[in-house]
Amino acid sequence: METLLKILAEIRPDVDFEENKELVDSGELDSFDIVTLVGELCEEYDIEIGADDIVPENFNSAEAIMALVTRLQED
Amino acid sequence: MAFTSMQFVMFLVLAVALYYITPKRYRWVTLLVVNYVFYYFTGIKYFIYLFATTISTYIATIKLGNMIEQNKVAFQAAKAELDRDAKKAWKANFTKRKRRVLIPTLLFNFGILAVLKYSAFVSENLNLLLEKLSAPIELPVFHFLLPLGISFYTFQTMGYLIDVYREKVTPERNIGRLALFISFFPTIVQGPIGRFSALSTQLFVGNDFSYQKAKFGVQLMLWGAFKKLVIADRAGVLVDTVFASYDTYGGTYIAVAALVYCIQLYGDFSGGIDIATGAAQLFGIDLEKNFERPYLATSIPDFWRRWHITLGAWFRDYVFYPLSLSKFFTKVGKKGRQVFGNYIGKLLPVLIPQFIIFFLIGIWHGAEWKYIAFGFYNGTLIVLGILFEQPLQNLVQKLKINTACFSWHLFQILRTLVLVTLGKIITRAPSFGVSVAMMHSMVVQWDTDVLFHGGLLQLGLDVQDLCVLVFACLVLLCVSILQECGIQVRETLAKQNLYFRWVIYLSAVFSLILFGVYGLNYNAADFIYRGF
Repeated sequence: METLLKILAEIRPDVDFEENKELVDSGELDSFDIVTLVGELCEEYDIEIGADDIVPENFNSAEAIMALVTRLQED
Repeated sequence: MAFTSMQFVMFLVLAVALYYITPKRYRWVTLLVVNYVFYYFTGIKYFIYLFATTISTYIATIKLGNMIEQNKVAFQAAKAELDRDAKKAWKANFTKRKRRVLIPTLLFNFGILAVLKYSAFVSENLNLLLEKLSAPIELPVFHFLLPLGISFYTFQTMGYLIDVYREKVTPERNIGRLALFISFFPTIVQGPIGRFSALSTQLFVGNDFSYQKAKFGVQLMLWGAFKKLVIADRAGVLVDTVFASYDTYGGTYIAVAALVYCIQLYGDFSGGIDIATGAAQLFGIDLEKNFERPYLATSIPDFWRRWHITLGAWFRDYVFYPLSLSKFFTKVGKKGRQVFGNYIGKLLPVLIPQFIIFFLIGIWHGAEWKYIAFGFYNGTLIVLGILFEQPLQNLVQKLKINTACFSWHLFQILRTLVLVTLGKIITRAPSFGVSVAMMHSMVVQWDTDVLFHGGLLQLGLDVQDLCVLVFACLVLLCVSILQECGIQVRETLAKQNLYFRWVIYLSAVFSLILFGVYGLNYNAADFIYRGF
């Protein structure tokens, strides 16, 4: 989780990723942030994130992003 | 049948009555019949395209659904014996098989749209090229009439197809219900472009009559008609006057007309959407939001998040993400980092697809060079905005500008409005060349004095019409600001005293009757986005 929070903070230092649980629904993360984030996640965790995985539920909070990463690692 | 015609009002009343007197479980059938009757008014010959989309999508989604079910069973059985690589290979192989169904269906449906909408434009331009090359060939040019709402229902249906392919929704096995989703009459004219996941249950379940929803629906329709008839159509008179003789008007007039065109387009399109949304609410159906006070946006990306939201979301989900996350653009990003450094390299998989999206949004509006130019104009603004975001932030800090105050916010809104207005000139002018000439004129022929010496009265509107337009725009602005502050106008109004509420309702109705633009030469059918 620490690594993920570090990646998130590098992309959007102005966002409180530990508190905000509606990152996409509230418009805090836009499509550019998500594409940049996906690139970083794929590189860091050696996973493949496709367009199918880009739904708000997977990116609304740091926990949701971590859950996506874990699921894709297990797949 | 225009949304603002008495014919539509009567049709809607009849449709709503029929819907609610039908037994609950058959209400969706009534709605489907109503949709087809509505579509019939546009011309029976266009049904062929609607049916082609419905049937091809039905066959493809059922096939995909069966494949997905079979794959799930087979994968569960084999899962224990597969290692991670084998699972990946299984998934990749299945994706390939699904694509064999998806891609021909996409090509077929977008092919219909492309042939009807773009073939004349392509043939004409190829002929020009062949003429320049002195080639003795001339391609035939076919001008097709566009079926009502084809750009909207094709996008909505292909969104559903992709959702089935992505296993986000289960395919609808009743072709009648699918036909209902594709042809829902309030949305078929000019959107909003709906998602199956959001609309299907509401359309198929057979809604109970809700007084509250119906009341809000009627209010929204009145508000939409106000925006269309009192604002947009009145503003249109001024805009048409200046744009028809742009060479006789100086830059100041052109700037005024361009700004008024922004108001006209918003009133026209969002007014139409309000009527559609209100009409859907009469059937107990909530449509997706298509506008969020776009002219209060503080940047161009913010504007596009607020303007025609469902089209932007469609391109984001079905084009931008697949492109940006594709293997090709991942490679482009990696290569870019080596060549241009980390910052630009990381941005490339975002910037290039963004440019492509705006090119597509441009040609979605029409088959003309000016729309392509409009797409590039917006794409360029967005790309420049991203590239210069950091340097500009640094500059603002160096200049010690307070960005947490109202004046900065207002500056951002006005700056965005100017950029948006320039973009609108491109789409409204008869050609791209003319729009450049008009912008040039705005720079070199600026004379504010003309506005204070009766100049505004030479633009097709008399004093009374100008006053009505300004007052109506102020009402629209006040409502927009209230909404921007989080106040829900209809809900707040509902809490007021009966007398006050009825004063407001009756004022709205009378303002429509008294100040709506009607008359012999007026054709209420001409919603601008209906033509796209």
